[in-house]
Amino acid sequence: MSAAVTFWIASGLILLGMLIMSAAIYGMIRLPDLYTRLHAASKAAVLGVLPLLIAISMTGDPAIIFRAILIGFFLLFTTPVAAHAIAQAAYARGELMQTPGARDESGLGLATKPAPAGQASNPERSAERSKTEH
Amino acid sequence: MGVAMTIFLIAIGWTALLLGVCGWVTIRASSLTMRILGLETFTLILVALLVLFAHLRQQAFYLDAAFFLILLSFTGTLAAARYHGTWKVFS
Repeated sequence: MSAAVTFWIASGLILLGMLIMSAAIYGMIRLPDLYTRLHAASKAAVLGVLPLLIAISMTGDPAIIFRAILIGFFLLFTTPVAAHAIAQAAYARGELMQTPGARDESGLGLATKPAPAGQASNPERSAERSKTEH
Repeated sequence: MGVAMTIFLIAIGWTALLLGVCGWVTIRASSLTMRILGLETFTLILVALLVLFAHLRQQAFYLDAAFFLILLSFTGTLAAARYHGTWKVFS
């Protein structure tokens, strides 16, 4: 592969990573509660760093490639565990679910806002529930 | 200044901006759990910045720093989240 093609692919990957990370931060600001923010931050931030690691691997230096692969694997394995621990802590502390239409199936009553009028929180579940009730 | 340098400078500037916004979100967070999440994300963006520097300078030691940062962040997040949720780090 020529150097010019490698350069443009690496640049595209860097811009893609920036875009995904921006989406993660936008999600952290815009989403209503911790559970949904966790979704945005943990997934999008990791998926934003991975294209950068692929871009840096295209340099061809074995020392950099080895470290980039190590970081990529470590990120893929540790971030879900950390996100799970944060979600578990939030749930144990009774952090409220403020997304409209969210359902807390444990019965602790953490869901605070009902779905908007005329809109079921989860249409499939609502249909199943109405079948079992009747 | 070449195209490559321009792209890297834009990427580094944008990442630094994201870092600032993430820091602001962390400081203004409504709960401690949200702050833990903010710090975790802050570290991930810092890792992205270090990866960009490694690419710019073609030096592997920036990646060593990034790796140890991830390691520290993971341990710290796990300990903080467990302590905040159950008041004990080890079960």
